[in-house]
Amino acid sequence: MQFSGSDRNGRLLIAGAAAAIAAVMVLVLIAGFRLATQIRASVGALQRTSSLQTYPAVISQQLTALRQRLGTLEYTGHVHRELARTVQNFNRRLSGVERRNLDPAAVRHAERLWQNYTPVLAPVLAFSGEPYDDTDTGSSLSASGRKYYDEVRQAGIFAQGNAPVLHSELAAVSAALQARTSAAAARLRTLLLAGVLAVLLLALAAAYLQLSRARQQRAAREAQDQTRDILKTVREGFFLLDADYRIGAVWSEALTHLFGRSDFKGLAFEELLRDKVPADTLATAVKYIKLLWGERARENLMKSINPLGQLEVSMDNGRGGKESRFLQFDFHRVMGPKGVKHVLCAVGDITSSVLLARELQEAQENAHSQLDMMIGMLHADPLQVSAFLDSAAAGLKHVNTIMKEPARTDGEFRKKLAGLSRELHSIKGEASALSLMSVAERVHHLEDMVAELKAKSDLTGNDFLPVVLKLDELLAHLRGVREMTARLVSLKEGPAGEGTASLPQLRIGDAEAPQAGRPVRATVDLGALLEQLAGKLASDHGKQFRLTLTGLGEVPAGYLDTVKDCAIQMLRNAAVHGIEACETRRTAAKPEIGEVRLEFRRLEAGYEFVFHDDGAGLSPEALKEAAVRKNVITAEEAAALDNRAALALIFRPGFSTRDSISMDAGRGTGMDLVARAVYGLGGKIGVSTNPGRFTRFKITLPAAGAASAVA
Amino acid sequence: MGAAESSGRRQFRLLIVDDSNIMRRRIERSQRFEELEVVGTAGDGLEALELARRTDPDLVTMDLTMPQMDGIECISRLIAMKPSLRILVISALSDKATAVQAMEQGANGFLHKPFTDRQLNDAIAELIS
Amino acid sequence: MLREEELKTFVDGTTRYFEVAAQQPATIGSPYLLEGDLAVHDYTGVISVSGKREGVVYFTAPRAMLTVLLMKMQESDFSHENMRDLVGEVANTISGNARKDFGHDFVISVPSVLTGDKPEIPRKAGMRSFVIPINWRSHSAKLVVSLT
Repeated sequence: MQFSGSDRNGRLLIAGAAAAIAAVMVLVLIAGFRLATQIRASVGALQRTSSLQTYPAVISQQLTALRQRLGTLEYTGHVHRELARTVQNFNRRLSGVERRNLDPAAVRHAERLWQNYTPVLAPVLAFSGEPYDDTDTGSSLSASGRKYYDEVRQAGIFAQGNAPVLHSELAAVSAALQARTSAAAARLRTLLLAGVLAVLLLALAAAYLQLSRARQQRAAREAQDQTRDILKTVREGFFLLDADYRIGAVWSEALTHLFGRSDFKGLAFEELLRDKVPADTLATAVKYIKLLWGERARENLMKSINPLGQLEVSMDNGRGGKESRFLQFDFHRVMGPKGVKHVLCAVGDITSSVLLARELQEAQENAHSQLDMMIGMLHADPLQVSAFLDSAAAGLKHVNTIMKEPARTDGEFRKKLAGLSRELHSIKGEASALSLMSVAERVHHLEDMVAELKAKSDLTGNDFLPVVLKLDELLAHLRGVREMTARLVSLKEGPAGEGTASLPQLRIGDAEAPQAGRPVRATVDLGALLEQLAGKLASDHGKQFRLTLTGLGEVPAGYLDTVKDCAIQMLRNAAVHGIEACETRRTAAKPEIGEVRLEFRRLEAGYEFVFHDDGAGLSPEALKEAAVRKNVITAEEAAALDNRAALALIFRPGFSTRDSISMDAGRGTGMDLVARAVYGLGGKIGVSTNPGRFTRFKITLPAAGAASAVA
Repeated sequence: MGAAESSGRRQFRLLIVDDSNIMRRRIERSQRFEELEVVGTAGDGLEALELARRTDPDLVTMDLTMPQMDGIECISRLIAMKPSLRILVISALSDKATAVQAMEQGANGFLHKPFTDRQLNDAIAELIS
Repeated sequence: MLREEELKTFVDGTTRYFEVAAQQPATIGSPYLLEGDLAVHDYTGVISVSGKREGVVYFTAPRAMLTVLLMKMQESDFSHENMRDLVGEVANTISGNARKDFGHDFVISVPSVLTGDKPEIPRKAGMRSFVIPINWRSHSAKLVVSLT
């Protein structure tokens, strides 16, 4: 646009120069023609005036000749006629002198002088007839002849006297004429020279303009080429909207790909989006576009209210179907002298970034899918699941109670973490024992969040927002599990077994939930649960072992939760850390199938709970090394520990020999929880091991509190 | 304009529309412009229309979420009454479509709640420039 | 189900309100799920939400906190009426700001203000409520988001 303007200017300049050349030439020609005409007239006049100069002398001579002839009585007729002709000619020529270009005074002077001739010449010229009287004695002048002679003589004397004066007057006139003529000639020369110069200058100017115009045009062409290249290769769709909200003649190639069409010229903006976005979105978009033309709104306000910053459009996918794309529109107003001239629109395809964000979110939400839930539950005993759900609800209620503790400082927030971990860990244990992997994974995820918070400094309430949301989601999931269980039960038992209604409905906030604080959790068939967990652990970790359970029926109600939590944790540890892979066992000359024993027995005073596996055992050195690596103790402290003390490291909080965290082990919150639970009941825990042979935990619990122990 | 006789410098007559008293006073207090004279405050759309009829303001600050008649409708009625009226929407509604709708009805500017004194002054300055 | 960004919209809106209106940002305390009835403070501004989402958003604050907030806003009128006005305006601003993320279909009501310690807050059965304590200076208020 800019280029065409200056191009027009350039063309105008050149046309102006050409016109100026023509005008100068016309002027020069006219002036030259007039000068030439003048010169020609002057030259004619000069010739005539020059010829006049001879007349006074000629008249004088002719008068003298006439007088002599009269004196010698010779024939005078022809001389008289010549004189008359001369006078007549002179008269005519003198009056015919071009006075226009002459000094009129000089001419008048000559005329006056000539007029003086008239009275003298007139009688001479008036004479006619024969001046002689011819007699036999000879001839003599007649009377009229004598008078004629006298007149001729007088005229001769007059002419002789006056001829030089008249001649010089006429010569002066002639000289003036000549001067004038040469001046005109000089003017003509100057004029021609000036004309030629002017034309030359103008021609030069025109040539320069032409040259610079050509340069400009080349630059403009290059710019146009560049613009075209840009429009061809730029990844955004660019176009201009005119005041009728229609697309202009130029747009970038990308627009074609974005909208799958190429007939953009004159297309209304509304049509561009019609059928691609919902009607109300289209209406808002059109309103916005109209507002862009208004003078009311300033640029940054308009930018801030752009409703097309992330527009979902539905496009033909070229295979007869539709696909969703996300476009980002930016609008810039192009101002002209009379307000907004165009609106430049830039359209980008942000589908991939939007979809990426969506995928992340969906990946999280996909955890909602009920399939994994169902698969897990098909194996589980509904009654066990139901008991677990009650226990989990109670546990999560406790989690929420921990969350609810007011907190403002990092310390207050941090204080919650240990309790949250413990509670979540035991719920996860139970869930995986029942193969409710959908639940276990969610709790695991929540546990991960809590673990991340432990590593974070300066905890604030914001850090706990994801936790409370995940907690909410977990609760919703548990509700789903409960409904599913009910459905499964009704399926298994048929319409007659409407036992579903009798399943306790537990939700946080429901009045029938167990009382606040740490509630007594419901009884689960511990043996079945552990066997199920063992099978699952074995298959998950590629281990083979046999689980022998003894005396679980002896576990008093008050200890059931603790025994369950401990057993799950120790079983997990045995399966992950203790029992070796078959290969290893074979090389070590051990039975390929490992052995895990859990014995519970009543003692005289209290109870004893022994957990034994014939796995790899614990290596004090490896434990120390791991503890140092985890910053549980320093290297110096480690060096000072004897074997007994080294073994006790596994009861320290934050300890784990595994570096990677899996569902079953590695977070390091395992044995410390077991120990804490046991101490909480006033019991004791001990460990003995023989590296390469076995690990054995021995827990003793007091008799008191067995019936009503509440942690 | 109308108020020229009162001080000579106060050229603009301002009507404040917001259902919160606190917010009305806040706007009233923050306008330190010599050129402004507050001619009225209204708590809902209907009251605003009535007051506008009586006081003939040049500028209006307009809340959107209000009882009786909401701000969007009030804007369109006010503009129908006096097309030259300049309206600054001051609302918590932060979606683009609402802003577009308000502008379409004739609003000239948009200020989001909550705002600082400076933001308010800038927005009003923009409105009267 | 409420997503994290969505909950954050309300939380950020609230802390920002204090930052802009009273030149001192609020921080949030430990969020939790509402069990039973909420122990509300003296004044509660309730916004009903309809359209794309349904439910309520409310902001409940003690008189002392509102008094300081009013002072910070250069108000000198600490009447009951002004307290109601303020708590309603806070609730309105927080909910209105959320439209930026929820969109135009997130329709919010004009605030209704409840006082006393046992106000009837409309609640949909089975709808989970998130309670977010709002700490500002030495005071504590609560933001409750209960949306489908």
